[in-house]
Amino acid sequence: MSGGMYLVDGKNLSLFKDKPIKVLLAKPGIDGHDRGVLVLAKAFRDAGMEVLYAGLLPTPEEVVDTAINEDVDVIALSLLNGAHLTVFRKISELLKKRGIDDIAVVGGGTIPDGDKPKLEKLGITGNYGPGTPLSTIVDHITERASEARAKKMR
Amino acid sequence: MKIHDIINGILIGDRRSIARAISIVEDDEMVIESSEIIKGIYNHTGRAHVIGITGPPGIGKSTMIGRLAKILSDGNNKVSVIAVDASSPFSGGSLLGNRIRMQESLTENGIFMRSLANRGMNGGLSRSTWDAVKILDAAGNDYIIIETVGAGQADLDIVDLADTVIVVLGPGLGDEIQAIKAGIMEIGDIFVVNKMDRDGSFLAMKDIQDSLAMTPQKEWKVPVIGLDSLKGKGYDDLVSEITKHGIFNGSRPDIRLDRFMKEVEMALQAEIRRQYLIEARELLNSKDAIARLSEDKIDPYSAAMKILKSGKAGL
Repeated sequence: MSGGMYLVDGKNLSLFKDKPIKVLLAKPGIDGHDRGVLVLAKAFRDAGMEVLYAGLLPTPEEVVDTAINEDVDVIALSLLNGAHLTVFRKISELLKKRGIDDIAVVGGGTIPDGDKPKLEKLGITGNYGPGTPLSTIVDHITERASEARAKKMR
Repeated sequence: MKIHDIINGILIGDRRSIARAISIVEDDEMVIESSEIIKGIYNHTGRAHVIGITGPPGIGKSTMIGRLAKILSDGNNKVSVIAVDASSPFSGGSLLGNRIRMQESLTENGIFMRSLANRGMNGGLSRSTWDAVKILDAAGNDYIIIETVGAGQADLDIVDLADTVIVVLGPGLGDEIQAIKAGIMEIGDIFVVNKMDRDGSFLAMKDIQDSLAMTPQKEWKVPVIGLDSLKGKGYDDLVSEITKHGIFNGSRPDIRLDRFMKEVEMALQAEIRRQYLIEARELLNSKDAIARLSEDKIDPYSAAMKILKSGKAGL
């Protein structure tokens, strides 16, 4: 997919034609820095996605419950407090425990390069840091969403 | 997940099945699967009390639903919430923000809540809301609460769907209540003035009562209730009026028939839309067929009729 093709002004390809991608943004754990996640929420909406935000301080259990009830395609996690390994892992374990493999999980925040392979091993991809172009993130979510969609259709 | 498993899942109240079923009825191109689901559960519907909540933006609908859902779920009642939000007319995307304001109450009480984007439909609901209500009904809910988009006057579709329509207003709307009475003032079975802690709230209640007094009396006398959602005051009155209205509805069998008529209409629209999306679009994308029509100097209306009558074979 070409960079940011969903962000061309006035030419959004998804307008009421395809089923929009549904994404849950969450900052699980003790982290109140939500400016970035709010910027993302708007960018995803402008890219034609249906966006849910879990609000501040949800528990991993709440995030997984919400994702199931809303039947989202992607859970997008963000943490800037350094607890990503613990909390992201918890969410991926909860999903596995409940037998869910058709919701993709992506991450982001202040994640050291050394931690990224560990997260990818859990199936949590992206893991973008500050300064990443919005179009890169939108494209990544789009890609992961189509994988999740394919699994849902089985 | 197979359709058969989804239907069985709905009937035992499995959340994943319910959630997936709602996604399917939201999908315009899955009309066949949607109809299979509705066929499979239809005989299990008709039990839930459907409560519609509408009113202008920022008046406190979501906060109120959080509290109301909690109170209704006491005493072992099963409650679910559907909240409809607007899709952007520019990108088709949507920020589904209602959940944040009721999250705490939902989590504590294990209430199922689903956000829907209206996907271009005017009237305060999405096309899929009707089927989503059927699914939650079949899943054994006693109460289903629906929050409309909240655009104000034009959110009138809820009348066709809900057993009880609650119109939420607040202080400070003043003369606007007069202005909007043609639309929203006619659809309420119960009126609520939220934010009773604010100045002018008693005046607002009086304005609404005056406005209602000018409309012809019907069998159901529309109550006006003041709520303070911060402190949770007034909710006992609200719940008792909802219960009373439910009993009142029970004495009017014609409601079910009206509802059924609306549902048949929606199903017909869905099928025509599916045909348009899948069959007609394929045709429209085929340049050769369209070029032939153009060379033959056929006008657009006749071309459209030709497609409608005989499909692709007609070209």
